Amino acid sequence: MRVLCCEDDFETWRGQARGLLAEGLPPHAVVWEDENRPQLFAAEEPAPYHGGGAVTRVPGELIEQLRSAAQYRMPGRWNLLYRILWRVTRGEREAMLAGDCDGSELHRRIRSVSREAHHLHAFVRFQPVTDAADLDYVAWYEPAHDILAGASLHFAERLGRQRWLIATPRDAVWYDGAHLEYRRPCPPAWQARAQASSGGEDRLWETYYASIFNPARLNRQAMQGHMPMRFWKGLTEGKLIPVLLSQARAGSQKDGQAQGVKGKSGKTIRPARES
Amino acid sequence: MELIDKLTILADAAKYDASCASSGAPKRSSRGKDGIGATNGMGICHSYTPDGRCVSLLKILLTNFCLYDCQYCVNRRSSDVPRARFSPEEVIKLTLDFYQRNYVSGLFLSSGIIQSPDYTMEQLIRVAKVLREEHQFRGYIHLKTIPEADPALIEEAGRYADRLSVNIELPSPASLIQLAPEKRLASITGAMGTIDSASNESRADKRAPRFAPGGQSTQMIVGADASDDSRILHTAEALYGDYRLRRVYYSAFSPIPNSPASVPFQAPPLLREHRLYQADFLLRSYGFKANELLGATGNLPLDIDPKLAWALGNRAEFPVDLNRAEPAMIARVPGIGIRTAQRIVSLRRLKRIRFEDLLRMRCVIDKARPFVVTSDYRPRQDTLESTRLRSQLSDQPAQMALWA
Repeated sequence: MRVLCCEDDFETWRGQARGLLAEGLPPHAVVWEDENRPQLFAAEEPAPYHGGGAVTRVPGELIEQLRSAAQYRMPGRWNLLYRILWRVTRGEREAMLAGDCDGSELHRRIRSVSREAHHLHAFVRFQPVTDAADLDYVAWYEPAHDILAGASLHFAERLGRQRWLIATPRDAVWYDGAHLEYRRPCPPAWQARAQASSGGEDRLWETYYASIFNPARLNRQAMQGHMPMRFWKGLTEGKLIPVLLSQARAGSQKDGQAQGVKGKSGKTIRPARES
Repeated sequence: MELIDKLTILADAAKYDASCASSGAPKRSSRGKDGIGATNGMGICHSYTPDGRCVSLLKILLTNFCLYDCQYCVNRRSSDVPRARFSPEEVIKLTLDFYQRNYVSGLFLSSGIIQSPDYTMEQLIRVAKVLREEHQFRGYIHLKTIPEADPALIEEAGRYADRLSVNIELPSPASLIQLAPEKRLASITGAMGTIDSASNESRADKRAPRFAPGGQSTQMIVGADASDDSRILHTAEALYGDYRLRRVYYSAFSPIPNSPASVPFQAPPLLREHRLYQADFLLRSYGFKANELLGATGNLPLDIDPKLAWALGNRAEFPVDLNRAEPAMIARVPGIGIRTAQRIVSLRRLKRIRFEDLLRMRCVIDKARPFVVTSDYRPRQDTLESTRLRSQLSDQPAQMALWA
C-alpha cells in the first residue's frame, strides 16, 4: 500500500497522480492521507496489477471536474479522484458521468462545491473600514468547503477598484484594487482585523429586512432550505430572524404589514379633480 | 422624516411585488474600472426573509403616495397607511451602500402615481440615469413602468434598466375594470408592446444602444378576483407569446390592513400560487401548452403537481422507455426534470439505462416509478387505475397550524 499526502493541494495531488498513472499503480494500492502519519497497512504489498489496455489521454474536462471536486472538504477526499482518473484513462469514460457510482459521487461533490461558492457570493457581509488607509471593506466568513481561492475574484468584478479583505479560519484573500493575494494559512493579523468586524450592526439594512418580509406568508421551511442556520451568525440580519419568526407566529400573520409601519399614523389621499 | 422611517414605510409598501430576480442581464464587470457593480446573467439571492422569499435587490417604492384607487393595493389613495417619499439621492445612496456591503445585487424601483404618469416615470428614470452615468453603477436595475406614461419615456427607461415590468395585475379585463378603476388593459398591453418593439429594434441593430437586456416581466394577483387557474394560465401563455415576457409572476392576494369590501378577507392558499408557478415552468421550459394542463375552465389540483396530473390524465403515453424515448418525452415523466432527462440521454449513449441509474440521478423515484421502463424494470403499477395511483402519489396533507 502506497501512502501519500498532498497537503490538500490540487496541483501537488495532480503531480503525484500523474506519476502513479505512469507506474500503472491501481487505485486500491494507494491511499492519500489528510496528514502525514504512519498507516496501519502501509507495509503491505499491493496486489500485483495485471490489467491490460492502453492508457488514454486525460480529457481536459475531467481535470476541471477533479479540480472542482477536490475543494470538497472530507476525510480521504483524494482517493475517489484517483479512482476516477484511473478508470477514465483505462477507457471507462462513464466514470465521469452522473449515472456511474463513482461519477455520481464526483458530481455530488462538484454540486456542493459550486453551491458553496454561490453561498460565498451571496452571504459575505462586508463592513466598511474607517480607520485604515490600506483597506475599504473587510469580511469574516466560514465556508464549508475550500472555495475561497477559486471564487473570490467575483468581488473584484463587483467592487471595481475598492480594496477588500476576506478572511476565513483556513485561508484569506486581500484585493488591493488591482491584484488578489491568496494566503493559506490566514495570517493572524488579517484574521484579527476580519473577526473584529464581524457581528456588526446596520440599522438601515435590518430595517429593510424586517420591512420587506411579509409575515402573512410565513414559511420557515422554505427560508431554511435556501439559507440554512449555519449562515445566520455571519449575517447582519441573522439575529432578526428568530424575532421576526416569533412575531409572525404571535399574530401579525393576519395582514402583511411590518411592525415598524403599524405604529405610524396613516393618510388617505383626496382623488384628483377632473380637469 | 428620517431616512430610516422612510425605508420602513417604502419597503413595506413594495413587498407585494413578488419579483426580486436579478437574472437575465448581460455580463458586466467593474474589475479594474471606476465605479462599482457587476452582473453575470444568473442573479444572486443575498438573503431570504422568513417568508422564504429571496432578497436579491433593494426593492422599494420611490413614494407610496398614489392617486389611483386599486382595491387590492395597500397604497391605494383611500387606504389609511403612513405615507413617505424618498428623494432620488436617498435611493441612490441606499443602493450604493447596500450593494457595497454585499446585501443586494441592485435596485428594483417602483412608485405610486404622483402628479401624473409622466412625472412619476421621469422620477424613476432619473434615479437609474444618475446611478448609471454619475456613479458608473453596473449592477442590476429593474424599473417598474407606468403604463400610461409617454412611450418616449418608456424607451428612455429601457436604456438604463436591465429589466422593465408592467403589471397586468388581474387575469381578466372585467376584474381590472371592477378593482382597478383608473387602469386600462389597453394601456398595460400598449406599454408591453412599446417595450417589446424597442427591445426588438435594439437587438436588430448592433450599433443601437442596449434596451432592457433582461427583458420584461409582469405580475398577476391570484385570488383577489374570481378568475380560475385556467384563465390565469391562458392569460400568461398569451402574454409569453405576444410580448415575449421573460417571466409572469403570480402573487397570492395577501390581506392588507383596512381591506375594502371589494376584495376577499381571506388569502388564497399559498399552495395555489405554488402550483401556478409549477405549471408556468412547464409552459416556459417543458414545451407544455396551457390546454394540455387545464381545460377551458377549472383549477390545478392542489394535492399533486401539474406534471403528475397531466401524466395521470394521459396514461396512454406511458410507460416511457428511457432507452428509446425522445428527450422531450423523458422530460415529461413525473419526477424527472430537464437536467436529469439530459443526463439519461448522455448516459444511454454509453450503456443501457438500468433502474439503479435513476436512483443515482436525483429523480423523484416514487413519482417516476409507475411511468418508466428501463432495461431491467417494468412498472407493476402500469395497469393501476389513475385514481388509485393518485391517492398513492399525492402530497401528504400537513396538519393545520394551531394559530394559523
